[in-house]
Amino acid sequence: MKSQRRWPGESRFHGWLYLFPGLLIYLVFVFYPIIETFRTSFYKWDGFSRERVFVNFHNYISLVTDAQFLKALLNNLVFIIFYSIIPILLGLLLASLLGRKPLPGMTFFRTGLFLPQILSMVVVGVTWRWIFNPNFGLLNVGLRAIGLGAFTRAWLGDFQLALPSVGAVGTWVQYGFCMVLFLAGMQRIPNDQYEAAELDGANEFRQLLHITLPSLRAELGVALITTIIAALRVFDLVYVTTRGGPGDSTLVTGFLVYRSAFQQNQLGYASTVATVMTLLIFGISLIILRFQSRDGEGV
Amino acid sequence: MKRITFVLSVVMALALLLSACAKPAPTEAPPAPEVPAATEAPVVTEAPAAPEEVTLVVWDQFYRDVESEVMETLNAEFEAAHPGVKIERVVKTLDDLKVTLKLALAQEDGPDVAQVNQGRSDMGAMVQADLLLPLNDYAAAYKWDERFSSSVASRNSFTPDGVTFGQGNLYGVSPTAEVVGVFYNKTIMDANGWTLPTTFDEFQTLLAGIKDAGMTPISFGSLDGWNAIHEFSAVQHLLVSLDYINDFVYGVNNVTFDTPENQEAARVMQDWVDKGYFSPDFAGIGYDDSNKLFKAGVGGVLTITGSWLAGELVGDTDQEFGFFLLPANPGHTRLAIGGVGIPFSIRKTTTKADLAAEYLDWMTSPRAAELWANAGMLPAMPLPEGYVAEGNPLFNDTLIAWDTINSENAVGHYIDWATPTFYDTIVAELQKLFGKIITPAEFTKAVEVDYAAFLAGN
Repeated sequence: MKSQRRWPGESRFHGWLYLFPGLLIYLVFVFYPIIETFRTSFYKWDGFSRERVFVNFHNYISLVTDAQFLKALLNNLVFIIFYSIIPILLGLLLASLLGRKPLPGMTFFRTGLFLPQILSMVVVGVTWRWIFNPNFGLLNVGLRAIGLGAFTRAWLGDFQLALPSVGAVGTWVQYGFCMVLFLAGMQRIPNDQYEAAELDGANEFRQLLHITLPSLRAELGVALITTIIAALRVFDLVYVTTRGGPGDSTLVTGFLVYRSAFQQNQLGYASTVATVMTLLIFGISLIILRFQSRDGEGV
Repeated sequence: MKRITFVLSVVMALALLLSACAKPAPTEAPPAPEVPAATEAPVVTEAPAAPEEVTLVVWDQFYRDVESEVMETLNAEFEAAHPGVKIERVVKTLDDLKVTLKLALAQEDGPDVAQVNQGRSDMGAMVQADLLLPLNDYAAAYKWDERFSSSVASRNSFTPDGVTFGQGNLYGVSPTAEVVGVFYNKTIMDANGWTLPTTFDEFQTLLAGIKDAGMTPISFGSLDGWNAIHEFSAVQHLLVSLDYINDFVYGVNNVTFDTPENQEAARVMQDWVDKGYFSPDFAGIGYDDSNKLFKAGVGGVLTITGSWLAGELVGDTDQEFGFFLLPANPGHTRLAIGGVGIPFSIRKTTTKADLAAEYLDWMTSPRAAELWANAGMLPAMPLPEGYVAEGNPLFNDTLIAWDTINSENAVGHYIDWATPTFYDTIVAELQKLFGKIITPAEFTKAVEVDYAAFLAGN
C-alpha cells in the first residue's frame, strides 16, 4: 500500500475519527474482556465477591494435572474429526457431485443441504435429543420399524456412543457450510481445465485430485480454520444434549469453563481454561495459515 | 490482504470465546455497602399509609403453569392490600436464576426480593459476598418460628461469614416443601392386586413382582443427571442416621462418604440395574420424558422423585396416582430426602427492606399455604386449620408424607448441597455407577475425594 497524501489542512487523525465508533465497541466488548479474562486466570476468584486472591500460576499448574480438563481436551480433539474432517470430506463429495454440471433442482439441493448450518445450535440440540430418545426418538423407532431393533441404543446415555452421537450432530451442522464454500470455489475453476483433463483420459476422481483440490486450497484453509475453531469451542450442543455425561464421556473444555465459572464459582480457574483454549486455537490457526500461504503463494 | 482478513477473523472468533466468560472485575476499593437502618429495628408495617408508588422487584423461579398462577394470585392480593405498591415479577428457570442472580444482587438496582438456592455454592457464596440481608429481626417480629421448625430454618441459615452451613443467621424463608418418595400408578397397582410395601424388603419384592408381570418397575431417565442422585440417596436415607446426614451436608464432625452404608446403597442401585428394574435405556432418557411416559401409564409402575411432581400428574391422563415414602427395614430409621423449597431472600442493599420483609411474610402466610395446596404443591408452612385438599388424593398423600417425616424428625437432605463441586462430581460418578463402569466401592471412594478435598480446604 502506498502512503496517501493528506489534503491540505486535513487533520492527521482524520482516519482515526472514522474508525472510532467501531474501534470503541471492539475495545470495550472484545478486547477488554479478553485482557480481563487473561488477568483473572492468575487469581482465585468466585466471580462476584470483592476479594480476589492473586495465585500466580497456580491455576495453570492445577490445569495440567486436572484429569477432567485433559479428558475434556481429548474429547475436543475427537470433535475435530466430527466437526472438521468428516464435514470437509462430505462437503467435497457433495460439491463435486453438485458443482460440475447444472442439475435440475440444484437450488433446492443446495438450500436443503445447507439448512442445518443456519439453525440455532440450541434448536439443533433439542431436536437431536428427541431423535436420539431411546423410547420414542426417530432413530430407534426407525430402526425397529425396519427390523433392526437389535441395534437400538440409549445413544446419548451410552458410554461408548455418546461422544460419536453428539459428534454426528456436529457433522450434520457443519458439512453444509463446507459444501457451499467449495461450490463457490469451484465456480472459479475454468471449465477448459476439466475438458483438457477429460481429453487426456483423466477420470472424475483424478480430476478431483488434480484440478479441484489444488484450486480449492484457499477454501480448504477457511473450512479447516472455522470448523476446527468450532470443534474446540463447542459448548451449546453438549449443554443441551448430555451436559458432559454420561460420566465425563462428552465433557468438553467449553462446558468445563461454564461449569467452573457459573456452577462452582471458580472464575479464576474457568478463565485459565478459556485462556489456554484461546492460545491453542490461535496456535492451530496460525499453523494452518502458514501452510496455506507457503504452498499457495498468491492465492 | 486476504491473509489479514483471515487473521482478523480468527482473532474475532477467539474474542468471542474469551468474552463468553469474562466478567468485569470489582473495583479495588469498593464503597462500604449501605446498611439500611431498617435492619437494626424492623417495624411490622401494616399497609403503608402514603399511597406513593413503590415498585418491589421480585425474581422467582416458579415458571411452571400451576406454580406461576399461585405467584400471580399472591402478588395481586399483596398489591391490593398495599395501595401504591407494585410488584415487578421476573420469572426465570432455576438454571437461569443461578447463573444471573449473583451479579444482579451485587447491583444497586438489583431485585429487592429473589429466590436464592440453598447450599454453599449459592446462598453460602452470596452470604460470603455480603449480598443478602439477615432476617433474624424480621423473623422475631413476624413470629416466623411458629411457621417453621428450627430444622427447617437451619436449611436457610449460614454463619455471617458464609462458611458454616446450618447455623447462624436466617437468610431466607421457603414457601414450599419437598419430600422425595415413590409415586405409584394406582390404576395398574389395583388392577394387579399389588399393595403398598411397609418395609424395604417388601418394596424389593414389589419390584420383582412388577418385573415378573412384564412391566417396568421404576420409570427413570438419567440423561439430565440430577435425578440419579435421588434414586441413590433415597435408598441411602434408609440406611444412614440423621446425625450422619446432617454432619455430612453441613460439613461438620469430619464424616466421610466412603462408608459401608453408602456402598450398600450403591450396590442396591447396580442390583436394580442388573435386574432390569429401571426403564430400558434409562441412560438416554431425560427427566421430563421419563415423567411423561410414567404419567401416560407406559413408562413404569413406580417412579422415585420429589413431591413437586404431584401437580403435574393431575389431569390430562386416565391413570390415577398415589405417593408413599420409601419404607425402611425393621431396625433402621426411615429418613426421607426432603426439605423446604428454594427460599425468598432480600438483597442486602435494598432500600425497601421493610416492604420486602412484609412480602416474605405474605409469601409464607396461611393464605399462601392454602393457594399452594390448592395447586397441588406442598406448603412449607402450616395450612389454615381444617383445610382439606378436596378431590386430590395424590396431594393428600404427599401432605401426609411431609407431615410424617416432619413429626418424626426424619427430614433428610439433598446431598449435593455438601460441597460446591459435589453436584457435578456425584452426577458423573452415579452415571458411571449406573452404567456399571465402576463398582460401589470405587463409587464411594471417588465421591469421597471431592468431599475430603472440600473439608481440607474449608
